[in-house]
Amino acid sequence: MRLAYYPGCVAQESGKELDMATRWVARKLGIELVEFPKFSCCGSGFVDEANMVLNVALNARNLSFAEAAGLDLLTICSTCQGMLTLANRKLEEPAIRTRVDSALGQLGLHYSGTTKVKHLLQVLTESYPPEKLQPLVVRPLRGLKVGAFYGCHLLRPQGELPGEDGEDPHSFEDLLRALGAEPVMYRGRVMCCGFPILFVKEGTANRIAGRQIEDAAAHGAHAMATPCPLCHISLDSFQNHAAREVGHPLDMPIFHLPQLVGLALGATPEELGLARHLVDTEAALRRIGTVATPA
Amino acid sequence: MVESVSVPLSVYRFDPGRDASPRYVDYRLDLPRHTPVLTALLKIRSEIDSSLSLRYSCRSAICGSCAMLINSKSRLACQTQVGPELDLHGRIVIDPMRNQPVLRDLVVDQRPFWQDYERILPHLVTDPRHPMPEGKPNPMTPEQVERFHETPRCIACGACYSACPAKEADPTFPGPMALAKLYRFVVDPRDGATRERLLRIQPGGLWTCLRCHLCTTSCPKDVQPSERIRDLKELAIREQGATEAGSRHAVGFKENLHDRGLLNEMRLVRQTDGVLGMLRQAPQGIRIAAKKPELLHKPRRIEGQEEVRRLYELLEDEEGGA
Ligand code: SF4
Ligand code: SF4
Ligand code: FES
Repeated sequence: MRLAYYPGCVAQESGKELDMATRWVARKLGIELVEFPKFSCCGSGFVDEANMVLNVALNARNLSFAEAAGLDLLTICSTCQGMLTLANRKLEEPAIRTRVDSALGQLGLHYSGTTKVKHLLQVLTESYPPEKLQPLVVRPLRGLKVGAFYGCHLLRPQGELPGEDGEDPHSFEDLLRALGAEPVMYRGRVMCCGFPILFVKEGTANRIAGRQIEDAAAHGAHAMATPCPLCHISLDSFQNHAAREVGHPLDMPIFHLPQLVGLALGATPEELGLARHLVDTEAALRRIGTVATPA
Repeated sequence: MVESVSVPLSVYRFDPGRDASPRYVDYRLDLPRHTPVLTALLKIRSEIDSSLSLRYSCRSAICGSCAMLINSKSRLACQTQVGPELDLHGRIVIDPMRNQPVLRDLVVDQRPFWQDYERILPHLVTDPRHPMPEGKPNPMTPEQVERFHETPRCIACGACYSACPAKEADPTFPGPMALAKLYRFVVDPRDGATRERLLRIQPGGLWTCLRCHLCTTSCPKDVQPSERIRDLKELAIREQGATEAGSRHAVGFKENLHDRGLLNEMRLVRQTDGVLGMLRQAPQGIRIAAKKPELLHKPRRIEGQEEVRRLYELLEDEEGGA
């Protein structure tokens, strides 16, 4: 399988470990990631708020490169997934289409709207169903209770993950089960991580993140996993502030989705960049025997 | 004869005057799959326990009385069938709406919802420069009508308000319904109070929205509050500039992309928070950068950056948006 790889900004900067884990998993599964140094940021929802048409045009430019190469596009971020999908949907409105077509035309670019945007979760679900994935699992995540945390833009406003209900999804839990982990069902799994206002109203954002972590913990999760590096910032990098807001300590390791896949398929913690997390993942790794339990 | 299925229901019960704390009472009913949850609850009330309190009236998704939590989702009970819920969860758990205090069982005190609604000036304020023609109709063009989108369909059921995590975390946030209604007046060609409405709502209002779209998935009338809130944000920036941390952040992000094509996380924090805010964040920044040193590297730039700039030139000053 060949896919246009759209890593997004965060996975190329503070969330580098997500990029490392994605590349490791892709190599293992024989997915060829085709890179496009011309890809720009997806606008992360903020550019959409400031200028919707510009945001569609920026993403149509991104999508046009994949279209010209005849490739579907792979995202590893719920927000990138949401924004690129949004561009495809907005381009169905003739008034927007005309303006974007003409702007791209001035750059000598054309996008006819055929690029399929697929998040890694969707690619894994579609192309590696349990019967194909399980034989590759060398280290089942047995004994690890994981709270999946989807990230809003993978689910809503509509059909961002095809076939999934925007408030009642199951593909992430299905994948966790195939890896040998035990998914934990809790309300927070489809809630917001607070990231969009993390730099605007930090306390409120931290409180929102803290509630989801508490909720996962209350349902017995040993760890959480997210397909979105922005959720990871809120839940991991700012977990100390989330704890301050909810008024008691939190100690919840937060994995990126491909890190858990990588662990099950035999990657080492170093290959997955686990030491880059702010919340230590060792307790979770000990449960699945990746690091030895101290005598 | 439609085949019935056995439906396990777990219903929140609480009478603050009598009960020390809320509890769930389990019921099991035989019902056809297409039975509305409301019908199931009314069957419990008429056949099992007449003390169950709930609001309803029209039974046809018109009056907006019967919103509640059905398996944790904010929905109209008269519009949600038992079958699909059983398929997803194997049972049906019913709770009162969130973000409003419980009066009894499934009945909540809607005063916070209506108070937030009052904040947006929920009535037409005619523009003195365009007085309504006396005794004559004042028709709108189809284009003007289109700008309302689906906002006039709101039945004030409160499902979106119940689903909203921003409201839950920050009681000063007015919630999706009020903001969708605000939008409705802002695009009304007869209305002249856009400025005042935006000024009233912006501090602490608009920019607390997380664009999680839970309001939109909860709305029984497809009002799409989150989409209209997005429109309002763009409009607020156009009308009033980047006056709030939220709008500064959106505009700062846009500039970031103009210059590099990629986000530079550190620069964005400075744009939103200013230098003082940046200093306040410094300990956290240092803590994070110790694990993620890329944050301190020289910002990168994409190939073909000039194409991105050109798109800005072409699309930035044109009228667009809502
Ligand atoms: S999109 Fe905004 S208004 Fe709607 S539920 Fe989420 S936070 Fe609330
Ligand atoms: S916007 Fe939709 S969910 Fe919200 S009150 Fe109106 S009808 Fe109900
Ligand atoms: S009873 Fe009127 S909306 Fe449900």
